[in-house]
Amino acid sequence: MAAKRQLGLTAFSAAVFLFLAAPLAIIAVTSFGEASTIRFPIQGFTFKWFGAVFASRSFMSSLGLSLMLAVYATLLALAIGIPASYALGKTAFRHNTALRSLFLSPIFVPGIVVGYALFKFLVIELRMPVLAGLLMGHFLVILPYVIRVVGASLEQFDFSIEEVACSLGCNRAQAFVKVVLPNIGSGIVAAFMLAFLNSFNNIPVSMFLSGPGVSTFPRTLISYIEYSYDPSVSAISVLLMAVTVALMYVVEKTLGIGSLAK
Amino acid sequence: MSYASLENIQVSYDGRTKVLEGLSLDIERGELVSLLGSSGCGKTTTLRVVAGFIEPMGGAFRLNGKDLTRTPVHRRNFGLVFQSYALFPHLTVFDNVAFGLRLRKLSSGDIRKRVEAMLEITDLSAFAGRYPKQMSGGQRQRVALARALVIEPELLLLDEPLSNLDAKLRLGMRVEIKRLQKRLGITTIFVTHDQEECFSISDRVAIMNKGAIEQFDLPEAIYSHPVNEFVARFVGFTNFFDLAKVGPGRFRDSHGGEIEVGVDPGAESCVGAIRPEDIELSGSSAERRNVVPGIVEVRTFLGQSYQYELSTNLGRLVANAPKEQAFEPGTRVFARFPSERIVLC
Amino acid sequence: MRRSLYVSLIAPGLLLLAAFLFYPLIVVLAPTFGSGGPFLGRYIAFFGDPYYLRVFARTVRIGLVATMVCVILGLPTAYYISRRSGRAKSILMAVSIFPLLTNSVVRAFAWIIILGREGVVNSLLLALKWIDRPLTLLYTEFSILVGTVYLFLPLMLVTLVGSMDNIEEDVTEAAASLGASRFVAFMKVVFPLSLPGILVGGVLVFTGAITAYTTPTLLGGNRNMLLATLIYQRAMSLSDWTGAGVIALVMILMTLAVVKGMQDFAKRLDRR
Repeated sequence: MAAKRQLGLTAFSAAVFLFLAAPLAIIAVTSFGEASTIRFPIQGFTFKWFGAVFASRSFMSSLGLSLMLAVYATLLALAIGIPASYALGKTAFRHNTALRSLFLSPIFVPGIVVGYALFKFLVIELRMPVLAGLLMGHFLVILPYVIRVVGASLEQFDFSIEEVACSLGCNRAQAFVKVVLPNIGSGIVAAFMLAFLNSFNNIPVSMFLSGPGVSTFPRTLISYIEYSYDPSVSAISVLLMAVTVALMYVVEKTLGIGSLAK
Repeated sequence: MSYASLENIQVSYDGRTKVLEGLSLDIERGELVSLLGSSGCGKTTTLRVVAGFIEPMGGAFRLNGKDLTRTPVHRRNFGLVFQSYALFPHLTVFDNVAFGLRLRKLSSGDIRKRVEAMLEITDLSAFAGRYPKQMSGGQRQRVALARALVIEPELLLLDEPLSNLDAKLRLGMRVEIKRLQKRLGITTIFVTHDQEECFSISDRVAIMNKGAIEQFDLPEAIYSHPVNEFVARFVGFTNFFDLAKVGPGRFRDSHGGEIEVGVDPGAESCVGAIRPEDIELSGSSAERRNVVPGIVEVRTFLGQSYQYELSTNLGRLVANAPKEQAFEPGTRVFARFPSERIVLC
Repeated sequence: MRRSLYVSLIAPGLLLLAAFLFYPLIVVLAPTFGSGGPFLGRYIAFFGDPYYLRVFARTVRIGLVATMVCVILGLPTAYYISRRSGRAKSILMAVSIFPLLTNSVVRAFAWIIILGREGVVNSLLLALKWIDRPLTLLYTEFSILVGTVYLFLPLMLVTLVGSMDNIEEDVTEAAASLGASRFVAFMKVVFPLSLPGILVGGVLVFTGAITAYTTPTLLGGNRNMLLATLIYQRAMSLSDWTGAGVIALVMILMTLAVVKGMQDFAKRLDRR
């Protein structure tokens, strides 16, 4: 009976994994098709769609925008999130839990609402450039990731080594740089990765906060799917997946996949 | 004037709970003073005030005449050893020990010399390139010590440094610490809850309770002459009985029995105490003075002796007797208190 | 830590949050209340309007069904993964995490390819002569559902595996020693102990599903609006700012209610 149950479970799990993997595999296959519409199975074999992606001005410029945005938003989130996590992790003020919830509050606001609120308030009412709203929107959405991951690292951190560093002659700032940062480094890297990825992949915030010449990569992709529908989308998907795999590999080698699963 | 002194230190959390109230302590140069007490008594708080992590609400801390009460931690030049050792996980043993010296901007040649010398003294030369996680508890302890001592601190502060070690290591390490301390002549404050450990290495001991010092004296003095019941319990007295004075050196216990004591404190009534190992048990007794009859309730084997729990008309008494003299539970025995062994508090 | 230091570390973040999240939300949501009518007038109107109500119901429906499907598919699979060890487990976890890191556009796009009129499913069925005209699978509630499940199943898996990993081996061994078969051990020991994980995973999936934008946009079209796509349409196409505001607050409150409900339920579980 046990063996049969095992087989059933294994088969079921295999089916689920197939469900998860097959669609992505199908995309990969369609990216090589000759025809100008997406077909499966494909006829012919070509790399031309990959070439078309790199040649496309709108894709490349929106890619550049998304990358730059992700970098700035992540750096801002780290600059705000690391000190805040440090203060919350080291002290035991009675308001710490409430403050931590405040920092995590963007989670409770649907991305689309964040985008909408910032659009209406910053762009329409304050007439600020869309880019500023975009940056702040992404920052808000990714800040909780930084707080969570760096916070978890700090929970494992033994603050008494910071005290010892001070007794040996470090002032506060030196102790932080020489002793705290090196020992939460892996947490910071994981936070960076998570934040960067979530900024790059973000859609709801970017939907509202776009304008002439300002369109993030995913948004450009959506428009393209809605108006054209050719294998260049598949090609882009393959490229994105390849980068993700590469990133995962790097993370695995340095930190272990576990750190991303938190 | 003493080398290091705490004067009337007040510390409270949230402005309400008073942790230390009017605590004063004078320490001579080169001595090893222990703060002994159970958890919550304020000994670690006191140490942290000395270290500079806690700024007292009132009172002052002076070292060699200078008022250091408001001086920040990193300017005090004190060596710290924590219970958890707090080694820098990302640095090798050598770098851990060199950390403080590097901050003092010594030349790398000087640093290397001093670190290597210190590693030699603490028997760690073989581990210079290792990382903390590759070392055992005892070894990490020594690294923590080396790191604190190499900066030639004015004070060495140890917060329960041996609590995380197993019994055998603890014995070895406490001798090490005493040896180093005497050799380098560094004034040291040692916080612990282990009475035996504390008494074995300290020049003087401060017994703390609820944020105040109950008795501050040589270990021998505290051991033989505890000033009150709390201290007496701490140093091993388990039997306490009320006494009312009837004459010089003569008292009556709560059941009318006569007790003669070696000293006369002058008070009309006080509490007498005696150690289990000082009580003499016998199956019969002709004397009436300093003898309490009782019945054996429980007997436990201690190796060299038996420990008996007796029910008497003075309450429960605990007495130890050599194993040659075995009394069965339920037997009637007589407990004799030698007058010179009774302590009054 | 000195108060001044603490404040200087916390304040910048709080200020940014206040300036770019709390304040804009207040400014945008305030006009939805009152002003020429009862205080909650627009909200009452919202739930009274059949069109809005349909959208709302559809959103909740898809959220609930997607969550249930994710639990049903995820629970056994997570159990399977958590029983593995070493290499196999790492690979399976990587396969589960990978979709989480890919863009949701890509994940929805896959189902356009599969469910479209000239998509994989239709081509296959036509080739097998099981149907003679392509089925309309795309731009239906069904396609949104499939896309949503596909989007959130990895999240449920990762959450559940994390929770199950915390159940120590000895617990199931103890159950076995007391006479429980594998299946009984699962039902009576593993399942109850993974309830917290199921709760957390369920809440993550549900709140994600009801607030998702990309999947309903690409797979649902204009005929099958969800709340998220509705906000966008109201605001961008129709400039109905107050209408969009109403929907926004409804969405926020739904999310808060679900999370709070879960926390209360979890507390009650804890007390047992």
